[in-house]
Amino acid sequence: MLSKPRSSKLLLGLYGLLVAGLPLAGLCYALLGSLGLVGPLAAGFTGRYWRALGTDTGLLQAALFSLWVAGASLALAGGLALALVLGAQATLRRRPLPTLLYVPLLMPALVMGFYLFQLLSGAGWLSRLSFGLGLTPGVEGFPELVQDAAGVGIIMAHVLLLFPFFTLLFQAIYQESRLADYYQLAQTLGARPGQFRWRVAVPVLLRRAAPTLLLSGIATLGAYDIPLLLGRPYPQMLSVYIATRLQRFDLRELPAAYLAGFLVAVGLLGLILVLTRLTRRHAL
Amino acid sequence: MRSKPLTGTSPPRSARSIFLTAALVLLFALPFVLLALLAVAPAWRFPAALPAAYSLRALRDLLAADNELLAGLGRSVLLASVVASVATASGFWLARAIARAARPGRWEALSYLPYALPPVLLAVLIQPFIIRLRLSGSVGGVLLGLLLIAVPFATLLLRSFWTQQAREYEQLARTLGCTPRQALWQVLLPLAWPLLRTALFQTFLLAWFDFGLTNLLSVGKVRTLTVQVFTYVGEANAQLAAVASLLLLLPPALLLWANKRALLRKAD
Repeated sequence: MLSKPRSSKLLLGLYGLLVAGLPLAGLCYALLGSLGLVGPLAAGFTGRYWRALGTDTGLLQAALFSLWVAGASLALAGGLALALVLGAQATLRRRPLPTLLYVPLLMPALVMGFYLFQLLSGAGWLSRLSFGLGLTPGVEGFPELVQDAAGVGIIMAHVLLLFPFFTLLFQAIYQESRLADYYQLAQTLGARPGQFRWRVAVPVLLRRAAPTLLLSGIATLGAYDIPLLLGRPYPQMLSVYIATRLQRFDLRELPAAYLAGFLVAVGLLGLILVLTRLTRRHAL
Repeated sequence: MRSKPLTGTSPPRSARSIFLTAALVLLFALPFVLLALLAVAPAWRFPAALPAAYSLRALRDLLAADNELLAGLGRSVLLASVVASVATASGFWLARAIARAARPGRWEALSYLPYALPPVLLAVLIQPFIIRLRLSGSVGGVLLGLLLIAVPFATLLLRSFWTQQAREYEQLARTLGCTPRQALWQVLLPLAWPLLRTALFQTFLLAWFDFGLTNLLSVGKVRTLTVQVFTYVGEANAQLAAVASLLLLLPPALLLWANKRALLRKAD
């Protein structure tokens, strides 16, 4: 029988293999696959797929579109949550809001995507209401809110999922940091409510919530379910772009898909490293 | 700028407060209303704002023995329950091993690695090995993929339990004559229960909500409820997609209701 320290080491070794070994081996495989060294049609070293990056702008477009969606979703959801926590504190503490804010957290991203499609599409419920009220002449007259070029539907879905979560987070920080007491103090010292909000409350809330906001931003950047339902074939978000290329029947597409997966994984890991250091440096 | 109350005092409910509450209730209730209407509307075509006819057939069909949706529900419940149980149990022991390791910080940092990547990207990266292990398109492959995310999550969550105090309680129990098994069952597990419950709840939802990783690793063959929602949407079968969506909302709602007291106590 193994001694306790040895069994702990064995357990940790297996854990290391699972959480680091498997993804890192996958990353190496993707790199080798993009160089033509592994994979079903591997025929030896080639830099063809890397050179093709210069002419094929699909990955860059997907990255820029994902950054736009993640940035806009984060800004809108964060702004809404801040406005609620700072502007409706008394309402937030009263029933039914403390319970109500948990309700959207029950919703899988896929269901949110399906719901918004049924609500906002040309033949959706809002379009029907607008037709019934005589505001639009038919399906064509309704504005394009899903599967649109700007990703409005995708952003709306992420905002609906994120803002209740951010509100709960900011509210918990507001209470833990005793910002209500600071407000009284700031008022006694002659500060206006606006000054307290912008110079005390917002910096405290944003700095303390920064790691969670960062993780939410990264999760939105790599979102799959919602853009799959509410997005267009072009431009696509990163995860949809990679998965689509990987699932094509043409096996010759695989190295390019591996290259995209490798670059996005390395890019995201780098982004997390930089942003984590930044948030730690400015942490309260 | 007009002064607005920012403190915790509770003045009488203003018109603005009532309007805000009503707007949020409407915003959060609308998805359930629309999904419920879609679930009972066999043919709801543009431009009708409400269904012309209602039918409970899709819901009644759920009770049929060969119903695909019911099978999907069972598959999802089973998969999420196995993921939650395995991840929480292994997370408990892994967290203890990390707490006793020479460099716990390194193991904690390592545990964040699977989160740094979106689940679909993680699935793309591990897929070649899943194929080599002959697990592609099988429940085993999906299970491995989901555990890759759920085990480190539970480990990080349960890491906060293994403090010096927990170790002292364990040692005290042993000093007072408990066997290791008694110390575990009668001291450690009751102490860790609130965190274990949270870990079970969260890892269950993690597996329950997943679509991308499951769909990619199973090549669409493991038809969980999320995969079925996507299939029905693709087939433009809004009624069955709505029924599947409502079924997807059921366990999280029950879990939220069961944990409501703990959640709201934390919020207060």
